Amino acid sequence: MTGSAATRGAARSHSGDLLVATAAVAAIGAWLWAFLATDSVGVLAGLLAFAAAAFVFGRRAAPRYRRALAARPRMATSLGVLTVCVVAVALHDQPYPLLMLCTVLLFVVACIGLDIQTGHCGLVNFAGAAFFGTGAYTAAILAAHGVPDPAVIFAGGVVAAAAGSLLILPVLRTRGYYAALVTIAFGILFSTFLEVNDSLGGPQGLKLHGIDFFGWRFNRDVNLGWTTASFYVNYVVLSLALAAGAFVFARRIERSWLGLAFDAVRLDEIAAATFGIGVGRAKIIAFTLGNFLCGVAGSVYAMMQGFIAPNNFTFGESLILVSILILGGIGNPLGILPAALIIIVVPQKLQFIQEYRFLLYGVLVVLILLFRPEGLLPRRIRDYFPGSGA
Amino acid sequence: MQRYLSFACALVLACATLLAPGADAKETVKIVFIGPLTGGNAALGLGGRNSADLAVQLHNADAKAKYTFDLVKYDDQCKPDIGVQVATKAGADSSIIAGITHYCSAVAIATVDTYHKFGLPVIVWGAVLPAITYGNDYPEIHRVNGTMINQNEVNAKLVTGLGYKTWVIIHDTTDYGKGHDEYFTKYLTQDGGKVLADFGVGADQQDFTAILTKVKELNPDVVYFGGLTPIGVRLRSQMDKLGIKSQFEGTSGIVSDSYIQALGPLAEGTIAFIDGAPIEKLPGGKFFLEQYAAHKYAEPPEAYGAYAFVAANLVMDTIEKVGPNRKAVTAALAATKDYPSIVGPVTFDAHGQNIVPIVTAYVVQDGKWVVWQDSDYAKGKRKLAGGK
Repeated sequence: MTGSAATRGAARSHSGDLLVATAAVAAIGAWLWAFLATDSVGVLAGLLAFAAAAFVFGRRAAPRYRRALAARPRMATSLGVLTVCVVAVALHDQPYPLLMLCTVLLFVVACIGLDIQTGHCGLVNFAGAAFFGTGAYTAAILAAHGVPDPAVIFAGGVVAAAAGSLLILPVLRTRGYYAALVTIAFGILFSTFLEVNDSLGGPQGLKLHGIDFFGWRFNRDVNLGWTTASFYVNYVVLSLALAAGAFVFARRIERSWLGLAFDAVRLDEIAAATFGIGVGRAKIIAFTLGNFLCGVAGSVYAMMQGFIAPNNFTFGESLILVSILILGGIGNPLGILPAALIIIVVPQKLQFIQEYRFLLYGVLVVLILLFRPEGLLPRRIRDYFPGSGA
Repeated sequence: MQRYLSFACALVLACATLLAPGADAKETVKIVFIGPLTGGNAALGLGGRNSADLAVQLHNADAKAKYTFDLVKYDDQCKPDIGVQVATKAGADSSIIAGITHYCSAVAIATVDTYHKFGLPVIVWGAVLPAITYGNDYPEIHRVNGTMINQNEVNAKLVTGLGYKTWVIIHDTTDYGKGHDEYFTKYLTQDGGKVLADFGVGADQQDFTAILTKVKELNPDVVYFGGLTPIGVRLRSQMDKLGIKSQFEGTSGIVSDSYIQALGPLAEGTIAFIDGAPIEKLPGGKFFLEQYAAHKYAEPPEAYGAYAFVAANLVMDTIEKVGPNRKAVTAALAATKDYPSIVGPVTFDAHGQNIVPIVTAYVVQDGKWVVWQDSDYAKGKRKLAGGK
């Protein structure tokens, strides 16, 4: 076979693969829609069983199609965004599934932030909820003082990153368990600070108004022409834009020289330093970027909920963020979405068994980690030439 | 195993839904119960849930009722964001006509906007923060239990009536403690009492020597404490160590057996108040407790179970009257006046707040909480601190 024929053959199989991959994404979208919309136990059990079966049987075939998508990262991202949009339109008149979708997407943003810290640079952060909360409280205070909401959302991230700078020195000086302890202490400090601080609403919390983007009021139902959509559609669009932005951002970082430096620092600090990589600098950048994303997610979450209180941002919530990361597969932003669905939506779907639901849900998480000890979609070895099939 | 279990659950549920209409030709109406079923406040939430469930079962057993009720139960985990999620779920589900909602004040206040937006009429069964009903004009929000306002009004009247003149207030810095501080100060000042000083303490503070030294210097007639049992016990025993002879009084937070067990004879003479009466003393309390026992629930009804029971009954009776329509139920609930219940007649004011809640005064006598009116202290056989 001549070289050019081989290339042509590869191109043909590529476009075929791409078609299959697109169909798979569409199927995932349909699954997502059914999962969010269903209220029936039987359907839920069926969907989870189906997902598990698809996971097991599709494992061998998947890499080929994944490569087809990985070769066109821009198209893949747009496809993902489009799929979620279609799901949102399909759910447009059901506020509850839309609210859950927003919650999941915002937790995805925060977890991508933690992923840059933990998955890439190896910094353990058990205070994710504190930075999420910093964003939320910043939003509450600034919005009450009439700052325009787009600026409020950005400021939420900036303040969270600034709050994180308090921790930089201890985080740079400690490693492993000790670094974890430092962040745990900070998280607890944060929620205690909120509880005793009257000007921040104390233990009772603070009320917020909905987002207003230059006159477009998010808390108003949307007239789509042929029908009226729940106001949560606004929040879905915003959270989706943030999640997609965070995803692309994390991917870009990963593929940059900075990402290489992060990996080197995570794998071996001494070796990294020997090669002239600024270990401290890499850690500071990763920590600040991660906290910024947590803060942005927190500020949008607060305005969507309309109410925040200290017990939304306790150590328990930080653990939820970390467990999403671990369940999804540390270091791979793609794994975060299914993990967030499981950790956030499944306990709510299990409301019918009331006080026992956390038991069943705990069993589910343990089972997943039993069969996938590295998480649902573990990070792969760095692909230096995407689409090369390496 | 896991899959079998959920499969079995699904099967049982499917059978139940299939069989239900066959067994009963009446129209089924859904109402929702929301409370903390997991987490630190789960005991109270489960008690409330069981009590609401009891009300529904008793109602469904009544052959004269027009509708059969189906009680949907959601867990708010005592967290505002989860509360908003389940409130949205209930509010957006048009088959749910009304709700019996929330024990935790922070959750109840966070969800009022959600209920208003979806037009779901709800009756709060346990949260005591006044702003839940008084902080808005939403016609959907009602409450059967009293607020801390009523409790402190009765408290201030009783103690000033005993002839005490000066107070020091100590409260914990949670919404509970701060609310009590605010309303007690207000009513005490109205009734002519004088507050010499006001201290806030952290919810897990151990040592109060600094504050109590100051208290000793001020030498008030009464030390008022707004907070829960653990701090109440520490305060009372440390007062004794420092030789403070003032009368000690507290709020509903210290009316518990553990307060007396921890303090022993030192507890004697402590005064405290609760919203409502002991269940046995309520007009229909005996009936409630008997039925509750007969249904063999695993958990006790706890302090607010009777209110959840009343809220569920009020919701069901209103639906019986006006039909399963949210707007009609909201309007009919607003007009509730002298509705007979096991906690006494329920009447809603313009904010949907029950205005005739019972407040009971207690005093510790011989190692027991005794209703003030029945105690030796009220009859003059024994004297409180300061010879009152």
